[in-house]
Amino acid sequence: MANANETEINIKGLCVNFPDKDNGGDIQALKDVNLAIKEGSFVSLLGPSGCGKTTLLRSIADLQDISSGIISVKGKTPKETRLSQQYGIVFQSPVLYEWRTVRRNICMPMEVIGLPKEERTRRVDEVLELVGLTEFGRKYPHQLSGGMQQRVGIARALALDPEILLMDEPFSALDEFTKEKLQIDLLSIWQKTKKTILFVTHNIQESVFLSDDVVVLSPHPGRVSAVVNIGLKRPRDLAIRETAEFAALVSKVRHSFEGIYE
Amino acid sequence: MTEARKNSLTDKLVIIVWIIALIIVWEIGASVVEKTKRSPQNVLPHLSQIVESVFSDKMVSNKQTAFQIVITNAGITLLRAGIGFLYGAGAGFLLALAMHRFITVEKATFPYLMMIQMIPILGMAPIVLAITQDINKSRIIIAAILTFYPVATNMLDGLKSVEKEKYDLMRSLAASNWNIYTKLLIPTSIPYIFSGLKIAAPMAITASILVDTLQGGAGLGTMLSQSLKHAMSIYVFWQIVFFSATVGILSYKLMSFAEKIFSPHERAKGAR
Ligand SMILES: Nc1ncnc2c1ncn2[C@@H]1O[C@H](COP(=O)(O)OP(=O)(O)OP(=O)(O)O)[C@@H](O)[C@H]1O
Ligand SMILES: [Mg+2]
Repeated sequence: MANANETEINIKGLCVNFPDKDNGGDIQALKDVNLAIKEGSFVSLLGPSGCGKTTLLRSIADLQDISSGIISVKGKTPKETRLSQQYGIVFQSPVLYEWRTVRRNICMPMEVIGLPKEERTRRVDEVLELVGLTEFGRKYPHQLSGGMQQRVGIARALALDPEILLMDEPFSALDEFTKEKLQIDLLSIWQKTKKTILFVTHNIQESVFLSDDVVVLSPHPGRVSAVVNIGLKRPRDLAIRETAEFAALVSKVRHSFEGIYE
Repeated sequence: MTEARKNSLTDKLVIIVWIIALIIVWEIGASVVEKTKRSPQNVLPHLSQIVESVFSDKMVSNKQTAFQIVITNAGITLLRAGIGFLYGAGAGFLLALAMHRFITVEKATFPYLMMIQMIPILGMAPIVLAITQDINKSRIIIAAILTFYPVATNMLDGLKSVEKEKYDLMRSLAASNWNIYTKLLIPTSIPYIFSGLKIAAPMAITASILVDTLQGGAGLGTMLSQSLKHAMSIYVFWQIVFFSATVGILSYKLMSFAEKIFSPHERAKGAR
């Protein structure tokens, strides 16, 4: 069982610059980001397009070279953490291998980390059920709609059952009904497994509903402008969104944005 | 679905119209030639005459009919073309992997590949024959060289075409090189390999026929030139022309078919 008070991901003074080909300078995608993410917590990265959410996630996952600063994951570097196969990623686009069926796409990461076949099959059945695609296991990605493809991407990461789950706008391509169902499902999986989840979104309600902490990011340069603690009781159901407490938190998050634009 | 079916129907119609037009032009030409030339079958016989010669049991040489000559010699040539094609494909596959894995290999070999590709077959074939002293080996080597280049370059393009995020997924899993190649890079390059093979297959056949002409003896190319020099019936020449064209097209079709076997998701597209 995870120790809820221990910091899992610690980020200090993180800067990521991209060369700007137009004027020869640098684009500051992230500037002096400081962040501590507790083990077993559900943290949302919230912000408008281009504020560096994906860049931050990729930096933690060791898929992005950083310009300066330190990221440590339980004292290890992102690279060491990646090499010990602790990350599971849901990309912003589905990123499916189009020559593999839905089932085999979901299996792929489990093959790579070397899970036995029976275990893989069991987990595939489980997550297909979860994302409502049981009927579509033998289809190829091009035979699915965009939202269904995104769900396969989610199912693939969930089946892997990683210690740290990094999700980049996983639900933004989904319809409202599917989205609500998957939000609830994700919360219950998280409650059961107590993994650390980093969840990128640009939807304020979604971030408040799901998270322990909402990290509010602002663009140009990308930086953390506030971290709002969400003290809503757990487990949460959809009804909680009707409460005054929820509304107050949503408005608190929204105002931490307005601060930057004033 | 109906749209796609309609399209394939128009495609077929276009081909049929083309063939009919070709036959008409051919026959008009043949009629003109017939009236003006002394031995018209050398220039342009009627199609019916060629078809007739296929089924005729008149011995043309060595107690063989024209068609038997074509078939036995085709065996000699095409078998070597096929072996060379397989060697070339295998070598192209391995070199593409090596070039992709080690940038130095790409830098070191690519210029030579380009150069080999630029030497015309007509110039290369005699050199190969002089080195190997063996017509069969020469056929194989020339077919292999011709296959090698399109397979290697196309596959290298395929290996480089992998989308960044698909690669990142593997990276995030700390996948071994073996897994990255077998589960991602090679599957991605399959369509590219096959476009190389589709270019190479008819070329390997043509090249082997060409190599035949370097030396008497046997093979489609030898018969072709003998027939042209009137050492045997001119219809052997015409039959070989049509036979080679057909085999060339079939070899291309065979590659398309093999591609479908290797890419079930493309098959699923067709069935939709
Ligand atoms: N590979 C790259 N090369 C150059 N600039 C980049 C690259 N990736 C991101 N950027 C820049 O960094 C900034 C942050 O990009 P990022 O993709 O992290 O934003 P985001 O918050 O995920 O946006 P969205 O919500 O639209 O996905 C943007 O200004 C973008 O132009
Ligand atoms: Mg993004």
